[in-house]
Amino acid sequence: MKLVKISRKLHKWLMLFLGLQFVIWSVTGAYMVIFDIDYIHGDSLVTNHQTSIDHKTIGISLEDVIKKYPDAQNISLAVLIDMPVYRFNVKNQNILLSAKNAELLSPINELMAVKLAKHHYSSDDDILEVALISQNPPFELSKRHLPAYRINFDALGSPSLYISASSGKLVTKRHEFWRLFDWMFRFHVADYEDGEPENLLLFWFAVFGILACLSGLVLTYFRVIKKQVEVS
Amino acid sequence: MQFIKSVHKWASLFVGIQFLLWLVSGFYFNIMDHSKAGGNQYRERIEKVAVDYRSTGNQKLIDPKLVLAENKKTQNLQVVTILGKPYYLLTHEKGLYRHFYNEQTLVDAYTNQIIVIDEHMAKKIALTSYNGPGKLTSVIKLMPPIQDIPKEKNTVWQVNFNDNVNSSVYINASSGRLIRHSDDDKRFADFFFMLHFMDYASEGSFNNWQIILFSIVTLWLALSGLIWTVELGFNGHYRLSLRNQKSKIKVSDKSGKLIDELSFSINQNLLDGLIEHDIVLPSSCGGGGTCGQCKIKVNSDAKITSADKLHLSPLEVESGFRLGCQHKVREFSDLTLLNTHTAKKHALVLMKSTFISPFIKELRFKLQNGSHLKYKAGAYMRFFVPAAKGCAIPQKLPDEFQPHWHHISHLEYEHLACSRSYSLATYDTESDELVFTIKIQTAPEHKILPGIASSYICNLDVGKMIKAVGPFEEFYFSENSIDASIENVSETNVNDEKTLVMIGAGAGMAPLKAIILERLKKYNSKQNIHYYFGARHEVDLIYRELFDELTQKHLNFKYIPVVSKDAHNWFGETAYVQNILNKHFNELGHIDDLAFYLCGPKAMMQDTIVLLQNKGVKPQAIQFDDFAN
Repeated sequence: MKLVKISRKLHKWLMLFLGLQFVIWSVTGAYMVIFDIDYIHGDSLVTNHQTSIDHKTIGISLEDVIKKYPDAQNISLAVLIDMPVYRFNVKNQNILLSAKNAELLSPINELMAVKLAKHHYSSDDDILEVALISQNPPFELSKRHLPAYRINFDALGSPSLYISASSGKLVTKRHEFWRLFDWMFRFHVADYEDGEPENLLLFWFAVFGILACLSGLVLTYFRVIKKQVEVS
Repeated sequence: MQFIKSVHKWASLFVGIQFLLWLVSGFYFNIMDHSKAGGNQYRERIEKVAVDYRSTGNQKLIDPKLVLAENKKTQNLQVVTILGKPYYLLTHEKGLYRHFYNEQTLVDAYTNQIIVIDEHMAKKIALTSYNGPGKLTSVIKLMPPIQDIPKEKNTVWQVNFNDNVNSSVYINASSGRLIRHSDDDKRFADFFFMLHFMDYASEGSFNNWQIILFSIVTLWLALSGLIWTVELGFNGHYRLSLRNQKSKIKVSDKSGKLIDELSFSINQNLLDGLIEHDIVLPSSCGGGGTCGQCKIKVNSDAKITSADKLHLSPLEVESGFRLGCQHKVREFSDLTLLNTHTAKKHALVLMKSTFISPFIKELRFKLQNGSHLKYKAGAYMRFFVPAAKGCAIPQKLPDEFQPHWHHISHLEYEHLACSRSYSLATYDTESDELVFTIKIQTAPEHKILPGIASSYICNLDVGKMIKAVGPFEEFYFSENSIDASIENVSETNVNDEKTLVMIGAGAGMAPLKAIILERLKKYNSKQNIHYYFGARHEVDLIYRELFDELTQKHLNFKYIPVVSKDAHNWFGETAYVQNILNKHFNELGHIDDLAFYLCGPKAMMQDTIVLLQNKGVKPQAIQFDDFAN
């Protein structure tokens, strides 16, 4: 009977301090597993267009590009909605060039950004706000994508698409479910500072949590499994 | 509140082990070496080689327009360098992410030739990205799903090295892109991720159905636990005092008699506090308020907890019954014990253990310290049975009784400690031995455990010690069992005029035997004593010779054995003992001159009490030893 008694006391006192963290773990954990990660990542917000390049519309050869931009690197040829475009870097600069007529398209203007966002967005919701972000990106946008347009749509979860102003590419997408997921993750790893699971607070929560869980298992064992023996 | 506790119990049973795995794996993520767990111990950063677009001749790149015209429909053409050489990577079908399915073709940028990444090329790519001491051991083409990289949906080359961590390098088989390195450190971490994500089917996902189910049950577990904790807090279970303050409680026994004033730490619960004074309340939950056994009686305006409400009837609560584990010492200044007693604990040594019927044993004990106990005949003692291993069929079963045990299947089991009460079958001055008759409670059906206490005690070896507390005198020959309303009755020897009618059955006859012997032998009483004893078969008529002998010696003693199952050689009564009592009732004497003592199985006692009440016997004239407690 002694083991039960010790477990009872241990479980009771540990949970006084850990109880809230256990609730946080289970609420955040449940959120993260119940919502499909692809949905969280906003995969359903965008259409994965499969438009092929019509080689007949290409008027500019690679040679022409090199003549104009001798330092071009990382060259690629793709379609922007339906127009063939060259993308490449000159030093650290992204260049977007029409493959039809060598027109320099970058940096794209707001109108073009909206057009691209609508093209990628999977529904026909209204656009709420368009903003060009050139510095101090929000948490959800990596610095390497700057400058970029944020296009907010008027829909459940406040979806945003980020279109690179220099490449015209859809660089990322976000909605509240993902933003919430990020918060949930930080709560889950008991990290209230920088989002890494290596922190002392989590360490002690886990150590005492294991103790609390073991003592709880002892109690369950004695209440459910051993009970039959005791009653007889 | 009971709902909450019930939810907590069953939820914990369901997710308990996984919960521990979550905590342990989570703990591992906290302490693991994150750089090692990345699997990149021997990964060499490949410097990007600039493509020389200005060369001419056979070092001149083919124009993309031509490449597109001569190949399958392409939505993206990209210049890549593999092993220092430029290629065009054509994407025909694009996945949202690189690890999603992508249909791609690699084309030599100088010759417009389609390049298939073969074993040789995969080897070379892997070697340029590897800086470890190992030798390349194998190159294998793998189709998804791939254990090391479960999210990958494209065909890959796996290049293996025989270094200390068994590195593997993965290369996309159509684009030649280096996907990642993996090694034993990463695989070890992946094992914990598998546990943490319950990804027991290795889908590389934490959105599987089993974790969703478990997470929902865990939510219930955590929330019910939180509510329980808050409730405990409100009921003052979390108070701590720096000084260990003591407080005194007057403790009375069942009859209201003050036993002692005992000192307790004020923040203890009564269950724990009483144990320190050798007063053991019954409890199987250890103080969780879930078994409802540790009943005590206090003043009726005491605080009522949810556990009190659940386990006690409204009437009991109103009359001041509470559960000891749910209340703190400081709430009370006095209390009454119900199911426990302050009698002393004794160490008893088994002197003799004999089968006296197929299922009943006579056990003779002596006190270990050699002293002698005084008690009224009919008293009982409470035995403390330790946790032990038990067996459904007793050892050393005499041959003649073995057929009676044939239907019992062999079962070995472990049991917890418990305590059980057994009546003494002797009176105190008969000898210095404490004699008990104990029936081995067999299991009603297969897989149910037999009576663990009776099995334990009856299997005890001679010379072994067992602890018991008592004797407790609750059932005994009473001088006061006359109707108090009758006035002007001379006080002397009133009972000697009374006829004692004893009704017993089975091993429950022990206290009756003790009282009969005490009356006849110790006090040499001349009052009439009728002893009705019921058993199933003739072989179960225990102590038959003893009672036959008493009948011959004492004219005032009558022994009426009754057998309920018909038998060939039986000349006595065949019926239930209460039926025979009914038959004989009018011959026993005047109703006011009868005193009844009942002891045996519950059904027999209930029937008999109803019978006697119907005959007009006053409740004061019926004494019974209630086994059910």
